[in-house]
Amino acid sequence: MRVQKSLSAIAVALVAALAAGGCGGSDSGGSDKKSVTMWIYPVIADEAKHRAYWDETITAFKAKHPDTEVKVEIFPWANRDQALATAIAGNKGPDVVYLIPDQLPKYARNIEPVDAYLDDAAKSDYHENVIKSVSIDGKMMGAPVLTSSQPLTCNKKVFEAVGQQTYPSSWNDLLAMAPAFKAKGFDITSYPGDIKNTLNLTFYPLLWQAGGDVFSADGKSVAFDGDAGRKALGLVKQLVDGGYTEKSLITTQPPVEQTRLAQNKVGCVWHSPTSELEKFWGKENIKVLPPLTETKSVAYGTVGSLSMLKGAQDKKAAGEWIAFVSGAEQAKKYDLSSNFFSAKKSAGALYTSDPVLGEMEKFVSTTTPGPLHEKARDVQGVLAPEIQAALLGKKSVDQALSDAAKAANQLLG
Amino acid sequence: MVALPAGRGRRPRRPSAREAGTALLFVLPFLLLFIVFRFGPAIAGAVLGFTDYTIGGEAGFVGLDNFRRLVEDSTFWSALRVTVIFTALSVPLSMIASLAMAVLTRRMFRGVKLFRSIFFLPVVTSLVLAGVVFTWVFSEGGPWSQAMGALGLPAGSWLADSVLVIPALVLVSVWSRFGYGMLILLARMQDIPAELEEAALTDGASAWQRFRYVTLPQMRPALFFVAIIETTVSFQAFDTIYVMTGGGPVRSSYTLVYMLYDQGFKYFDLGYASAVGVALFVLTIIVALIQRLTLGREK
Repeated sequence: MRVQKSLSAIAVALVAALAAGGCGGSDSGGSDKKSVTMWIYPVIADEAKHRAYWDETITAFKAKHPDTEVKVEIFPWANRDQALATAIAGNKGPDVVYLIPDQLPKYARNIEPVDAYLDDAAKSDYHENVIKSVSIDGKMMGAPVLTSSQPLTCNKKVFEAVGQQTYPSSWNDLLAMAPAFKAKGFDITSYPGDIKNTLNLTFYPLLWQAGGDVFSADGKSVAFDGDAGRKALGLVKQLVDGGYTEKSLITTQPPVEQTRLAQNKVGCVWHSPTSELEKFWGKENIKVLPPLTETKSVAYGTVGSLSMLKGAQDKKAAGEWIAFVSGAEQAKKYDLSSNFFSAKKSAGALYTSDPVLGEMEKFVSTTTPGPLHEKARDVQGVLAPEIQAALLGKKSVDQALSDAAKAANQLLG
Repeated sequence: MVALPAGRGRRPRRPSAREAGTALLFVLPFLLLFIVFRFGPAIAGAVLGFTDYTIGGEAGFVGLDNFRRLVEDSTFWSALRVTVIFTALSVPLSMIASLAMAVLTRRMFRGVKLFRSIFFLPVVTSLVLAGVVFTWVFSEGGPWSQAMGALGLPAGSWLADSVLVIPALVLVSVWSRFGYGMLILLARMQDIPAELEEAALTDGASAWQRFRYVTLPQMRPALFFVAIIETTVSFQAFDTIYVMTGGGPVRSSYTLVYMLYDQGFKYFDLGYASAVGVALFVLTIIVALIQRLTLGREK
């Protein structure tokens, strides 16, 4: 009798669990209201401020589109690709998502191009390099809402302490100044070689400055193992071997406050955002300069865009939302709130009175976001450890680049 | 005269069909959940290894292409080597630590329960949190490098050294796992009839001889279980490696699971990632069989 009672209880619990599971998966349905869900990340670091921005934007959008409900979900930057990829695979992805050029090729087959949802005036208002950075096979995979630039930034206080009157503009300047910095207990620069760092920020700017590129023009093979690549890696190796950079950063990535960069011991960098440098250097000590030159002056800069996923429930509503948010006036508000720069020509200069952001903004139209290639990340995965091997002296520069190219070309088929 | 423990030597009664049916009903919910959430996905994962599936794309059957690619991929062989070395170091060390702590906490003395709880604490500590703390411990100028320096040994960061990075990760792994093994071994030790040790003591056996010839043989099934679990966990090491080294320097700590993660969630090549998973599964089964033939051959 007792066993029977227990079994009945188990059966009831199982049925209840199954029923609850069934209820959980059902849609509310039945409503004529259109809905759009967007996933975005902490572009504005202050969460309350960020939330308030989107609440206001939704209110403004609903004034024009009363039949559309918009839900904006703010996710952390960390592991965003895993969350998005698994959501897409499970048909639980958002309608609209914030992506940067580095991500676009991997999601390309899941993205609905936005060309048809933006009017001609809106499209022609974008900077040329911005359009290029979000276009795959001639189609815009996202509507840009912001840009960034990463030129050379130097620490005035460090230069004063070293007694250096001028700032570097070329690789030669950097190498020529390095011994004086070392003699006074400073590093001319820092190179984050830990493989968690994206090469878009660390190695590729040097490769581009030497006139090289990651992939060949047709994208069928890699090109980083040419003269430009050897020059770029050779420069970093010279800096490491000479003791002109913090060697531990080649293999580890400690919290920034534990690095010499944060301790005001580094002269110039091209990979750290000024928002971070400000905390440790003080805004008054940041000197923004054009990107270094070997054969040309070029810097990394990203483009934040809103992409529509192919699984969007109501593409028309999602397109209207994207067009509204990426419009010149609305995007300008977002850029000013987040300290990023405008992707639109009509916005003009946003930070004329700001000595740091105002200077950085000048380089927006000449930056590059890195290669838009489906295997761009995979290639970084094989190149980064080989760069480490060269910097640690386990391989020569030639051997490291040659081994990386061999592995990368295998990936490209 | 030493009395046999109750029940020993008596043949177990075969359960009736009704009893077996009732037992099966109790097992059924778990069995269903196991099939749906463990066995099913494992089979699906293995099938994916024969496709070129990427996120949002069609899954086309590619036969053995992913496995051929695996054999030709130097990164796979490097990851396999790292995984085997890591496991070969961490499993014996973890078992020795577990056994030693089980012996130490076997005796009843004041505060022993507190010690057992403290030793078990790392098992329930977040590996990510532990990874962050141990990154600092092993950093240049951190406590570990200072201790090494004081002993006259190289004082650099072990995590930045392509040879010492694995021993550093092994130490963290042993720290985080020995409490679990200790608990299993302790439970088995407390189940060993006290009369056996008393008889050995009467025969004049020393403490070491009692441990070596009485306790240890009785521990064989528990040791086999711990060895299997520890091997499986070591083969699947990821969290602390992800946090502490990112697989570096120069792929010195890049394991098979790290490779699986990269291929699946960084490059979205889920077919190839599944092939790595199948290779890892085969490797785990082979090692488990070897362990069965050595440690577990009697039971």
